[in-house]
Amino acid sequence: MYKRLVFIAVIVLTGQVVSNPYDLQLLTFIGINTLLALGLNMVMGYAGQISLGHAAFFGLGAYTSSLLTIHLDWSPWLALPFTLVFVGIVAFLVALPMLRLSGYYLGMGTLAFGMIVFFIFLQWRSLTGGDSGLIGIPPLTLGPISFEFGAAPFYLVWGIVFLSFIVCERLIDSRIGRALRSLHDSERASAAVGINTSRLKVQVFVFGGVLAALAGFLYAHMVTFISPQTFDFLMSVKIVTMVVIGGMASVWGSLFGAALLTLLPEWLHVFAEYEMIIYGLILVVIMIFLPQGLTRGLLDIYEHFKSRRKTLPKSHEG
Amino acid sequence: MSISSPEEKPFQKVMKVEGVSKAFGGIQALQDVSFQIEAGHIHAVIGPNGAGKTTLFNIIMGAYAPDSGRVIYKEKAIQGRKVHEIVSMGISRTFQNVELFGSLTALENVLVGRHVRTRCGFLSAVARWPWVKEEEKAAREKALEILDFVGLKKTGHSRSVDLPFGWQRFLEIARALASEPQLMLLDEPASGLNAVETQQLGELLIHIKERGVTILLVEHDMSLTMAISNEILVLHQGRRLAEGSPREIQDNETVISAYLGKV
Repeated sequence: MYKRLVFIAVIVLTGQVVSNPYDLQLLTFIGINTLLALGLNMVMGYAGQISLGHAAFFGLGAYTSSLLTIHLDWSPWLALPFTLVFVGIVAFLVALPMLRLSGYYLGMGTLAFGMIVFFIFLQWRSLTGGDSGLIGIPPLTLGPISFEFGAAPFYLVWGIVFLSFIVCERLIDSRIGRALRSLHDSERASAAVGINTSRLKVQVFVFGGVLAALAGFLYAHMVTFISPQTFDFLMSVKIVTMVVIGGMASVWGSLFGAALLTLLPEWLHVFAEYEMIIYGLILVVIMIFLPQGLTRGLLDIYEHFKSRRKTLPKSHEG
Repeated sequence: MSISSPEEKPFQKVMKVEGVSKAFGGIQALQDVSFQIEAGHIHAVIGPNGAGKTTLFNIIMGAYAPDSGRVIYKEKAIQGRKVHEIVSMGISRTFQNVELFGSLTALENVLVGRHVRTRCGFLSAVARWPWVKEEEKAAREKALEILDFVGLKKTGHSRSVDLPFGWQRFLEIARALASEPQLMLLDEPASGLNAVETQQLGELLIHIKERGVTILLVEHDMSLTMAISNEILVLHQGRRLAEGSPREIQDNETVISAYLGKV
């Protein structure tokens, strides 16, 4: 419980201290990426089902809500439930055949799905605006508050991240969470104890997809402009990297992974053309030395030093 | 789960396997195998490697559909049904090579075993209704009781992969017990166990039987099988070679020449 209070305190404090709009937007993007990583972590980190097309759901969420609000003049708040349900149905229909695959083949299948969705955004010009994307997406408003600039979107996104954390933690610490983890360890055995594995896989895939759609919705109405490149294959890879770097099967890992992958490119701008090289190098180094991800890895290092400090005085006595 | 409704007849034969055949490519793994399992008995299946014992298990559990024949459990045909349906009907199994959930603790392994006897789904897990908390609490109590029953009470919070191999075997049995089965299929539970552990296993299986659970046992350890089984079915190259009490099987000439070897 106190963890949650600390989390809220950090959000509120950050919102108060940071006033630079650029920094605030960066922090808001970290929140959106955390939602993406969190959803994929449930699918990949917990249930052990690889998805290389997670950005497709992010994009579907963004495009669906944008189109509804631009063309049909819906309020974003009305578009939200429709978007989530629509993307949930898409995820369900994709998951039905897809999750019969496993391992590399599931990776290939989800990769192909991600590409198909990307090319739809790119090529269906009459609807999606093609390469140049959609402009003039109405920002979220609530009475006098507009969630387009400043601290308001920051608080909104991080409030949703906070709620999503609670949702995921409750899921993980339940019959469903145990079933998901058992699926990761041995699909054969989880079927043998009576888990309907295909149904569970579809459910968690839909869950991850809907969370990504929520992130897409927030992104679209915050930036008020979207184009296909934001939701391409590289974005899917980036979300996978967030999960792996942050730590598989760790809620906090999603947060750290998202933060690192959002901030690194910003910090590395000073290296100009060497940016990508250094970026890749950092990821490789983390994977070699902290294969369990940042969260687990840093905790291990911390515990290592703590236990060393405890044993040190004893050795001096002798 | 042992409470039966008035119109429900007590089943003397908990399972009837009728003329089951299964081929993989050109290999006839099972050929017209029939036998019946008496409720409350330990029914062993023996036979040399490749005799079709594991195939038989996989067919009963719904992992494979037989090419022909029927599997009747409590007077219902179950061949070709989904594994999770069969488990919730009251059949559970263990594997020849222990298949635990390595990253889960011993207690969590048993809790996953209770999956079919609990019903909290995605939404109720998030909502945490009062009944979900109660269900979880009851499941934990039951799981601890089962761990205690197999003698692993103290290991509840160790990750299952960290347990010694013999304990992993017992834990897998605990997990299979957690679904409150009426019929348990144990695939070579003694393999990899030392003499003391095998002795403990024999006692545990007798205790399980005393709880009213019927056991279908595939086992290579002959002294264990002979000591605890009520009936023994001998399979040889996918066919039924003989069936009878341990004594009858030990005295059976065909069995001796085919399997046990001349003494």
